[in-house]
Amino acid sequence: MGTSRRKGSVVPLGSQFPLEEIHKASKRVQDAITDKNNELHRLQTFLSDNNNLVNLVQKLPEQLSHDVMVPFGKAAFFPGRLIHTNEFLVLLGEGYYADRTSKQTVEILQRRGKTLDSQVDSIQAMIKDLEAEASLFNATASEVEDGIVEIMEEYVENGSDDGESESESPMEDAPSCGNDTATKVEYASLLSKMDELEKQEELDAQNGDSSEETTVDFDHSPYQRPVDNNPQNPEDINQATPLDRVANNNYFANDLRKKHNHQEDIADQLNFASLAVQSQVREGKNLSQNVKSVDASLKHPISQAASASKIEAFTGSIVEHAENLQTSSREQSSTSQVSGSQSLKPVSRFKMQRR
Amino acid sequence: MDNLRQQKIQKYEEFVDKRLKPDLLHATAQRDKVFEQQKTFADLRRNIENLEKNSVTSLRTLVNLGSEVYVQAEVSNTQHIFVDIGMGFHVEFTWSEALNFIEKREEKIARQIEEYTQLIASIKAQIKLVCEGIRELLEFPAEKPAPERIF
Repeated sequence: MGTSRRKGSVVPLGSQFPLEEIHKASKRVQDAITDKNNELHRLQTFLSDNNNLVNLVQKLPEQLSHDVMVPFGKAAFFPGRLIHTNEFLVLLGEGYYADRTSKQTVEILQRRGKTLDSQVDSIQAMIKDLEAEASLFNATASEVEDGIVEIMEEYVENGSDDGESESESPMEDAPSCGNDTATKVEYASLLSKMDELEKQEELDAQNGDSSEETTVDFDHSPYQRPVDNNPQNPEDINQATPLDRVANNNYFANDLRKKHNHQEDIADQLNFASLAVQSQVREGKNLSQNVKSVDASLKHPISQAASASKIEAFTGSIVEHAENLQTSSREQSSTSQVSGSQSLKPVSRFKMQRR
Repeated sequence: MDNLRQQKIQKYEEFVDKRLKPDLLHATAQRDKVFEQQKTFADLRRNIENLEKNSVTSLRTLVNLGSEVYVQAEVSNTQHIFVDIGMGFHVEFTWSEALNFIEKREEKIARQIEEYTQLIASIKAQIKLVCEGIRELLEFPAEKPAPERIF
């Protein structure tokens, strides 16, 4: 608006919006409100008529016949009576009529009532909008009468990069919010980012998981011995473990103490993560001494892994293990934890069979 | 002088717009109502004559409950019919009595229609007159009469 960059412009509001124009606009809006109110009134009459009719239709079949005056044209009627009081002929529209019982007629009428209700709602919303508009006009009119001036100044933009990155970081924390606001493309990129983060976390989780599982496996092995009616599937998974992977795990278990980073090799194949852990369990039995010492050194990673695995609780059995083991109080076994312990138990059983 | 004429013209125009034209609309609406009545009674008369011709003693019909929902109704005795005589009163007639009444009623309605037509015509004439007066005040040349139809 302003010709120079620094200075703005000062315009009396009255010159931008002349009072007569405002009054004209306000009058137009008022007229529209009146129209809508009339329409609303008409609809409400329809609605009350409809409700009365519903009551009538419900009551009619209570008696076999009703004495009424039967209209004969507009200006005359005969004394007569209604018969077949549970048979109604209802207009469906376009000149089609249907024979209905009282109950079915009531249903039709109630559906009509719902339509009317929605129309009433929409008109009420329109009236609300128009009233807001009218109040705006009135406010403007009073401002013009007060002689308020409008001051305009040019806005100099700052670099807005920081703002964008700031707005993006909360989305990572709450992806559900991002889903609502961000476009699909943004959301996809966000998801890929989250996947990376999840991979990282799972890496850590496995790090803690493997050692934790081995240790707890030791603790629990006496309990698990009598359990024989375990599902067959986990056993199959164990048998399907590739040999080379087992060898890989050998190596992994040996170096577990020093090189946590090495686990990235295993963690890359996320699908086989559980298998790796389970076979790791078997190795852990042999290397019990080593693992015990590892466990002590791994206290911190374990807690991290537990918190991380809580986030992606849907991914698989590993998660359940970590959660179950971390709490390590088996007394508070809910149903989900039971399933977790079930998937854990076959490991030991398999182990027993192998030995 | 000119100013006075302007005022006069304005007054005439106001008279046309605010008095005569609403009157005309009102009269037309009234006449339409009477036309409707005429049609109602003509229908009734035809219906009763039909009943007489077919010597119907009992009748089955559908009654509109509103919102186009109909129920069957039975009239056991059609000899007596209640006819609207105006002001919300209904009188029990036999068929012949009803036909007599309807005949008289139709006469009256026809008279009413005639009256309204006269009224409408006079209002239209007044509008035309005032418009002509305005034209004279403005000193426009007289309009050419519409070409008359030659039979």
